[in-house]
Amino acid sequence: MRFIAPLAAGLLLISPLGIAQITPEEISVETMPERGKNWFIGTTRNGGYIFDATNGEMQGMLSLSRYTPAVTFWPPREEFYAAESYLSRGVHGERTDIIAIYDYENLRPVAEIEIPNYMARLQVRSHLGLLNNGRHLAVLNMNPGHSVTIVDVEDRIFTYEASTPGCAVIMPVSDNDFLQVCGDGTLQLIQLDLSGFEENRVRSEVFFSVLEDAVFDRVASSANGWFLITHAGTIFHVATDDDEIIIDEGWNPRLESEANWRPGGRNEIITAHHDTGLIYVAMHDGPVDSHHEPGTEIWVLDSNTQRRISKIELEAPANSILVTQEDNPKLLVVDNEGGSHVYDALSLSYERSIQIPGSTAFEDL
Amino acid sequence: MKIDKIIDKAYYWIDDHARRTTLTMARKLSRRHFLSRLGMFVAGAASFPLLPVSRSFAQESIEEIGDPQSCDYWRYCAMSGTLCTCCGGTYTSCPPGSEASPITWVGTCTNPVDGRDYLMSYNDCCGKAVCARCSCHNTEGDKPVYFNSNSSTVLWCFGTENTSYHCTVSLVIGASDE
Repeated sequence: MRFIAPLAAGLLLISPLGIAQITPEEISVETMPERGKNWFIGTTRNGGYIFDATNGEMQGMLSLSRYTPAVTFWPPREEFYAAESYLSRGVHGERTDIIAIYDYENLRPVAEIEIPNYMARLQVRSHLGLLNNGRHLAVLNMNPGHSVTIVDVEDRIFTYEASTPGCAVIMPVSDNDFLQVCGDGTLQLIQLDLSGFEENRVRSEVFFSVLEDAVFDRVASSANGWFLITHAGTIFHVATDDDEIIIDEGWNPRLESEANWRPGGRNEIITAHHDTGLIYVAMHDGPVDSHHEPGTEIWVLDSNTQRRISKIELEAPANSILVTQEDNPKLLVVDNEGGSHVYDALSLSYERSIQIPGSTAFEDL
Repeated sequence: MKIDKIIDKAYYWIDDHARRTTLTMARKLSRRHFLSRLGMFVAGAASFPLLPVSRSFAQESIEEIGDPQSCDYWRYCAMSGTLCTCCGGTYTSCPPGSEASPITWVGTCTNPVDGRDYLMSYNDCCGKAVCARCSCHNTEGDKPVYFNSNSSTVLWCFGTENTSYHCTVSLVIGASDE
């Protein structure tokens, strides 16, 4: 008992000294590290979550409007471009549509350009496209007639609006041109001049029937053009040569016993790796008009041989997919339960799942 | 010069004729007589086009079956969105305070009661936050965005003061065999 009092007194003297030795921590803000391979953006209704698919680590987040159709990155300027739509009082009030520009280092908005306030407010990757070596950004409008807004993202000004009745989707080709899919079963090529104004417009011959077997409004870029796929699964490769639209003959990878297997999903259902020519398609067994059913399998097709080379059977069906463009590409999958998963896109082995709340689609970075 | 005079004379003749006719009618007819005849004419004219149409409606009122709060309800075969029937509205009326979009997408649904195909109009109700109850996504006859009259994925809040989406109603606008 007689030792307790001196011991307590000693502890009282020592403990403040101990605390004093700890340096108080200070809050800081990270900046983005150098962009790595297989990085991607997981898009949601709340913004874009930036991840490294190799290790599954989140790197940062872009805050985007609820109605952002897509976001794209231009490496030479280290900038992101997103089409955004806002109502002044949240769900009512004046509508303002903008192209928002974010810097890479801090993922902060650094500029915005007001555009006509009727952009198509749907999450579709090909409703946004960079043209003219990153100078012009094309955005799809719907009012409900279709048109395309052209914005000079280098000079930060609205440039031009091209009326495109009956045609949607923006598929950049060559330097200043883009292709569109039209309801009469044709493709439309719009060629812009260096200032971003329309210079020429060409229409292809009819190559599909929207009533019999429509081409999806979800498309995949290839090394020199675009892959289109119909509701029944026929794949067309399209490209341009100056003002000529080249549409290769369609092919379907289904076997005879797989007549009811069709592409489907709520978002991006086809994606392609440019260097290898591999195409990945979310497929399901279902009736006609089941084109929004998520894919229970992902079919891996070789566009060079026009054959299926493998498939991935999924535990939870896929609503959206994306393959990254690296030499060791990753296949990213959003399932219909909101889960996001990473596969090795060549070995097709499952690697990891990543938590991206509200994930709907992906953008390559 | 001659033509001008002819036109002037013609105008004068029309004015004079109208004035004389009006005066004659005023002298010969009492006000009540005139009003009663006018009333009969207006009522007759108004009811004339209604007769066949109202008979037609009486014959072709649509018999409904099923639960309008279920996505399986026959009217929803090409519906995409959330059901206004679950949000304070009906399948033909928007919930309180929302705004009906006049521009729509269309589909064709078969009524299981009479086996007839009906042309459906899917109108979005707009100007309020999304009513996230009773989500429904059917794709019968659905087409891609570039064929937007038959595209259910489009947000159809066009032509409204506010463009936010609240829910969707489904109206019959005709029968395919009419």
